[in-house]
Amino acid sequence: MTTGRDRIRLRKPTASSVALDLTFLALVGLSVFGFFAIDTKGLKTGPAAAKLLSDLVKMFAHPVAKHFSLAEAIWAMLLTLGLAFLTTLLGAFLAIILSSFAAKNLSKPAVSNALKLLVAFVRAVPTILWVLIFAIGAGLGSVAAVVGMTFHSFAYLLKAYSESFEEVGGDVVEALKASGANWTQIVCQAVVPSSMSYIVSWTFMRFEINFANAVAMGAAAGAGGIGYELFMASGFYFNIGEVGFITYLILFVAILLELGAMRLKARQHVQR
Amino acid sequence: MAILTIKSLTKYYKDLRALSEVSLKVKAGEFVTVIGRSGAGKSTLLRCVNRMIEPSSGLIEFDGIDMRSLGRRDLRKARTRIGMIFQHFNLVPRQTVIENVLHGRLGYKSTLQGSFGIYSDEEKSHAVDVLARLGLAEQMHKRCDQLSGGQKQRVGIARSLVQDPRLILCDEPIASLDPSSAKTIMDHLHRISRDMKITILMNLHQVDVAIKYSDRIIGIREGGIVFDDEPRRLKKKIVAEIYGSDADDILFEESPE
Ligand SMILES: Nc1ncnc2c1ncn2[C@@H]1O[C@H](COP(=O)(O)OP(=O)(O)OP(=O)(O)O)[C@@H](O)[C@H]1O
Ligand SMILES: [Mg+2]
Repeated sequence: MTTGRDRIRLRKPTASSVALDLTFLALVGLSVFGFFAIDTKGLKTGPAAAKLLSDLVKMFAHPVAKHFSLAEAIWAMLLTLGLAFLTTLLGAFLAIILSSFAAKNLSKPAVSNALKLLVAFVRAVPTILWVLIFAIGAGLGSVAAVVGMTFHSFAYLLKAYSESFEEVGGDVVEALKASGANWTQIVCQAVVPSSMSYIVSWTFMRFEINFANAVAMGAAAGAGGIGYELFMASGFYFNIGEVGFITYLILFVAILLELGAMRLKARQHVQR
Repeated sequence: MAILTIKSLTKYYKDLRALSEVSLKVKAGEFVTVIGRSGAGKSTLLRCVNRMIEPSSGLIEFDGIDMRSLGRRDLRKARTRIGMIFQHFNLVPRQTVIENVLHGRLGYKSTLQGSFGIYSDEEKSHAVDVLARLGLAEQMHKRCDQLSGGQKQRVGIARSLVQDPRLILCDEPIASLDPSSAKTIMDHLHRISRDMKITILMNLHQVDVAIKYSDRIIGIREGGIVFDDEPRRLKKKIVAEIYGSDADDILFEESPE
């Protein structure tokens, strides 16, 4: 019999759950306070909202391509996709070689830990910052974008690959070691094939991330492609319709990528 | 002639003594099972033989080779002549049966050939023969994740057989199988030891199975040998000693004197 007073709790409050609750409350409080504390500088909320709505309608209901033809837009999109593809490929190549040194079951603890620490640091710095850092040497442009994006992709994929190596490889590594196979043979014949499905999904996921990055790099780092057109349309020609057009184009490609990812996953499930 | 001689083998995991002063001899072609309760040190003993676990002290002599003196390269060479079979089969699930079997040849190949999976025609036909002998000819091109447990274990046996081994170590080879697949596996291993004169050293949990198949049984308790003799000498009292208080639950028929 439970009365209202002493109900059965499913979880006991722990130090971390209390901290989480307090953080959540603080964030809610700050959000509410922030909303009232905004200095609108005499901006009237009503007319401003109406203007925003009309601009959004113009952007998405009347997309136009004025400063470029459709062919040029597609070309720019291909350029962006190319940047994403190239950086994913380079990053994946480097990561697959080094991740066998980072996996605990294939490497010495010192080497593994050092590598993992290094890539944790590389991952902690956002891609765009790496691009800007490499821009110091290479100048702002496609070279800095390729190097910076490759660098971050490599760190991301190294973590993903080495963890799947650790998860999947264990048993087979033991078996092949016991039969006298050497390290390289074990990695190539057992570890990589066992984790192939993980490798494929992680790489594709990174490709999707890199597509978004490549759009941003076009705008922010002058790497060209569709991002650059978006930047020009919004910040240079102030053509809202063109911004809408480019956004639709990017959305379309992103949906295609998502569909591709889903099919890939479905196929692997069937194979399992 | 002894193919495997172990003298005063001791293994410490930090402060825990898993094996203490274990000595035993295994004759070529003999079928030896090691029994003992969970944690007695069976797996540790088996893995010290091919140095998958480094012993703390003692002597291990396999086929006239002092295993503990070997460097990395020579150890790999020695390991090619020792097959190993696991409770969980330890196959690459996404590769085909024949690919998994051929992994047993890697120790004999150059790094390059092995890494790219380039095998000679002889190796391939040997693998096919072995698979046929184990009744897996039809499954050859199936992916291993599509096989039943019993079939997977037969692939494991095939992989160790293409190594051309003198000794096969089996760590609870039937522990995750149903009784009928378990019998098939035990029959195959028995035939391998009898017909091919390959020595078998096996850990088992089922005393009745050990009695039925082995030439010799070794009972270990808390890292030390407490019984080492023919199956017919294994009496209820000794089983009770090996298994301690769990002995009441153990099914087996004492052989009549
Ligand atoms: N890597 C390890 N580190 C520390 N202790 C270990 C390690 N491996 C085994 N042990 C300990 O050594 C003892 C012997 O273990 P072992 O695995 O050889 O037993 P076993 O007879 O094979 O048991 P089971 O029947 O459960 O497989 C156990 O007490 C175990 O906890
Ligand atoms: Mg064990």
